[in-house]
Amino acid sequence: MLAFWGKKQDKAVDQKSKEAYFTASQSQLIWTRFKSNKTAMFAAYVLMFLVLIGLFAPFLSPYDPTIAGRDPDYQNGAPQIPKFCDENGCSVRPFLYTLERSRSIETNFRWVTTENREKRRHLQLFVEGWEYKLFGMKFNTHLFGADEGGIHIFGTDAAGKDIFSRTLHAINTSLAVGTLGVFISFVLALIIGGVSGYFGGVFDGVMQMITDAVRTVPSIPLFMALAAFVPDTWSAEMRFFFISIILGLIGWPTLARRVRTHLLVERNQDYVLAAQLSGASSSHVIRKHLLPSFTSYIIVDLVISFPYMVLSETALSFIGLGLKDPVNSLGVMLQNVTSADVLLNYQWYFIPVIFFITLVLAFVFVGDGLRDAADPYGGHK
Amino acid sequence: MAQFIQFALTRAGMAIVTLLMVSLIVFSLMEMVPGNCAERYLAFKNTQGSQITVADIEAEEKRLGLDRPFLVRWGSWVGNVFFKGDFGDSCILRLNINQLLGDKFLLSLGICLTSLLFAYLIAIPVGIISAASKSAWLNGSLRFISYLGLAMPNFLLALMIMLFSTVMFGDSMTGLFSKEYRDAEWSFDRVKDFLSHAWLPVFILGWSATAFALQTVRALMLDETGKLYITAAKARGLFGRKLLWRYPARHALGPIINSLGFDLNRVFNELPIVAVILTLTEAGALLLESLARSNDQQLAGAIIFLLTASIVTLNFVTDIALAIIDPRVRKSVMGG
Repeated sequence: MLAFWGKKQDKAVDQKSKEAYFTASQSQLIWTRFKSNKTAMFAAYVLMFLVLIGLFAPFLSPYDPTIAGRDPDYQNGAPQIPKFCDENGCSVRPFLYTLERSRSIETNFRWVTTENREKRRHLQLFVEGWEYKLFGMKFNTHLFGADEGGIHIFGTDAAGKDIFSRTLHAINTSLAVGTLGVFISFVLALIIGGVSGYFGGVFDGVMQMITDAVRTVPSIPLFMALAAFVPDTWSAEMRFFFISIILGLIGWPTLARRVRTHLLVERNQDYVLAAQLSGASSSHVIRKHLLPSFTSYIIVDLVISFPYMVLSETALSFIGLGLKDPVNSLGVMLQNVTSADVLLNYQWYFIPVIFFITLVLAFVFVGDGLRDAADPYGGHK
Repeated sequence: MAQFIQFALTRAGMAIVTLLMVSLIVFSLMEMVPGNCAERYLAFKNTQGSQITVADIEAEEKRLGLDRPFLVRWGSWVGNVFFKGDFGDSCILRLNINQLLGDKFLLSLGICLTSLLFAYLIAIPVGIISAASKSAWLNGSLRFISYLGLAMPNFLLALMIMLFSTVMFGDSMTGLFSKEYRDAEWSFDRVKDFLSHAWLPVFILGWSATAFALQTVRALMLDETGKLYITAAKARGLFGRKLLWRYPARHALGPIINSLGFDLNRVFNELPIVAVILTLTEAGALLLESLARSNDQQLAGAIIFLLTASIVTLNFVTDIALAIIDPRVRKSVMGG
């Protein structure tokens, strides 16, 4: 009896899940498949973490990432890792040692920094520091700091700027450039791909030739040519927008092609014919019927093209044609590690590189997971 | 045969149209740069101490033919490029661009093509093995390594290798030639010297290209192995390597050949960055120099055009190759 009951319940659950499966919208299906992919889910968590870090960069970073927040007493300083224990005993709150700078005849009158292991400085939460703006409001509270003097958990660069703060802000900037670039290329791709796919025929042929021609031009050299127009007198913000626009202008052909292919398939469906027979205008059919039919695929495409935007930004900044040093972008941070001096003596400059690699990897794995999830034939394999 | 010739001619025509379009894009870009050749030349003279007037600039513009309308200038530029292979003079360096580029462009192209070859030599067998194997561990790690190739900045790899060789062998391995061969005539020794230097850029460029190629090969193989004809072949008793090479590998070959052009595009993208790090003296470095330091639009335009032209040519060659190995391709273009 009990077994029978269990079976019946199983059947009910089965029925329910089947029903859920057949009535699910496309995005629900994609999400269900995506959730079952462990690698992609892990990458999604990492990605979310990085995006949040980027968003809340000013709150999380104890120092102003610009020259205003530099620590003149600690240039090219090694990372200071807070400790819980040392030979003088343990403490519940993590602490740092006090650094003392002195010069005397013994040091040949050069400034020498020594660590005073007796004087502990404790880590503090929610300290007041430099003022920043977040969501239009002004704040000056930061997540952590240390009493009396600096805390540089990733060390400092040659100017004494805190690398931890710079890295967080760099993630923010690079994501912003990427988002703007993706957005611009997305709008262009929708318009060009949409029109060309909907009308088809000769118009489509001509548009395809133009798209293919743009696609054959190698993008980084083209970026370089475009970026070289930027006069040196431009401010950091102007440069930032210009670079994003360039990224967007070059990125559209691939996306436009995908939009067109989707549309070419969809426009011969019966529901489109029905809408046309009811007297709907072309733009109405495109907006109300065709676009919603593959929005989820477009989102997948956007995520996939995102890491390439970030990579292009870094490549450009790395060559010195993109964003430049006072701005904190991942490309600028990467450019800072290219000297042999850094490689041999100041290895902590490499910490942003780890963040960069993680960011790109997370994006690629999420994009891959989404692509697999969006593929209607993927589930059967 | 007639069908094949017709196909080849259509493709050649399309390639030329694409090239014309690209040349228009590149030429418009060059026009968008603030200032023109005449101004730049006279600005240089100005720094040398001579006085410059507006009339001087206009006279210079006339001499260079810059007062003609945009499309006419584009026509003459394209005409010179297509029929004489002449890119004109560089604005800043006042030298003929062909002379300036010399064999630098061919060297870069050679390096890029070799790294592409290197990439596929690794990617095809590894990709097939990965697609055929059921091991999740093997597939996962292969995927991770190939994505790392994408995410890991090229320059970092180059820096590491340079540092390693400096510490281990006392040679930084930068450049394409040793000092004594840099400006020498081509000879057997120079070729040997070149090869001993060129493997490093080839390796670094090939590293990320391999990552992409591996993805392509694996995805294509996976697509094919799910199909019914594989099941049919299995039912006939084919298995293992024989099955893989006989059917899916052959089918996957077409799209791979097709994607070669875009792979070359990607390698070209990496070229300037690697050139900077390894202080190579080829077209990528020259392009960077012409853009970053002096805004030399003539030279930059010529290099970008040449890079694109080699991609278009490769696309054309792969189309022809595809038509030779796969009769369906010929038919589809003929509207059959």
